[in-house]
Amino acid sequence: MTEEKRPTLEEVKAFIGKKKKETLEIDKSMIRLFCQCIGDTNLKWQNTAPPGLITTAMISGGALAIEVPRPYKRSVAAGADWEFHKTIKPGDAITTTHEFAEVQDRSSEKGPRVLLIYKSTHRNQKGEVVAVSTNSIMSY
Amino acid sequence: MAQLYYEDVQEGSEIPTLEKLPTTRTLVMWAGASGDFFELHYDKDFANSMGFPKVLVHGRLEAAFLTQMLTDWIGDRGELRKLSVQYRGNAFPGDKLLCKGKVTKKYVEGGENLVECEIWVENPAGQRITPGTAVVALPGKRSQVKRSKS
Repeated sequence: MTEEKRPTLEEVKAFIGKKKKETLEIDKSMIRLFCQCIGDTNLKWQNTAPPGLITTAMISGGALAIEVPRPYKRSVAAGADWEFHKTIKPGDAITTTHEFAEVQDRSSEKGPRVLLIYKSTHRNQKGEVVAVSTNSIMSY
Repeated sequence: MAQLYYEDVQEGSEIPTLEKLPTTRTLVMWAGASGDFFELHYDKDFANSMGFPKVLVHGRLEAAFLTQMLTDWIGDRGELRKLSVQYRGNAFPGDKLLCKGKVTKKYVEGGENLVECEIWVENPAGQRITPGTAVVALPGKRSQVKRSKS
């Protein structure tokens, strides 16, 4: 099997600043599936989205939204941060702007590796910021 | 669900542990519910090619478990404000995961009662595979959480 051609670090860095905007309408079934999956039976989430919903890739997965080629074969999620500013409710339309923000060289004696960092801003249909998030992927 | 008040917590207070047992079924549900279809979480051959012995539990699923631990703890009138996690270790389907945390600081800022916490997911070997921090806002016994909701 031939090895897939990998981009150089400079080619990856050329993607910095690339943005993507997407809108997701939040409905009750989406919230119910999320709560069923994690086993959260709090009745409060019948009329309000739990903050954890924003942690899902479909909302804050910048790495999924912006297709940046990975410089090395393996990659895993390295970490994430979320700031929750306003409650999301069923019927809200959340528009997220994702941006590929930064490449950090984390090479060490273990070998070459980089951290790819994505930042996202999430707004509701009123234009209010409901959350901001950062997520990072380690490529190694 | 019991309401937690600012006066109820002190530095060092422990957050009640939330136990989770994600299975391959959970990972399938999470893929559908969250929109994360990365093969590492359902294709064993792919996981092997990445150097892992089997498929991995999604880091974001662990983060979601931590949000539940926090919202269970703070009650309906508390609000989760910040969450930060680092995915430092791996969890596999069938692992019993313990979501834990403790209060590191409490303070009033801008008229709000804020509580900072150290949080983590612990694997069956007792390793903190997903450490992080969180900030929650709590009502006082004579006050409300200040932020207006949408």
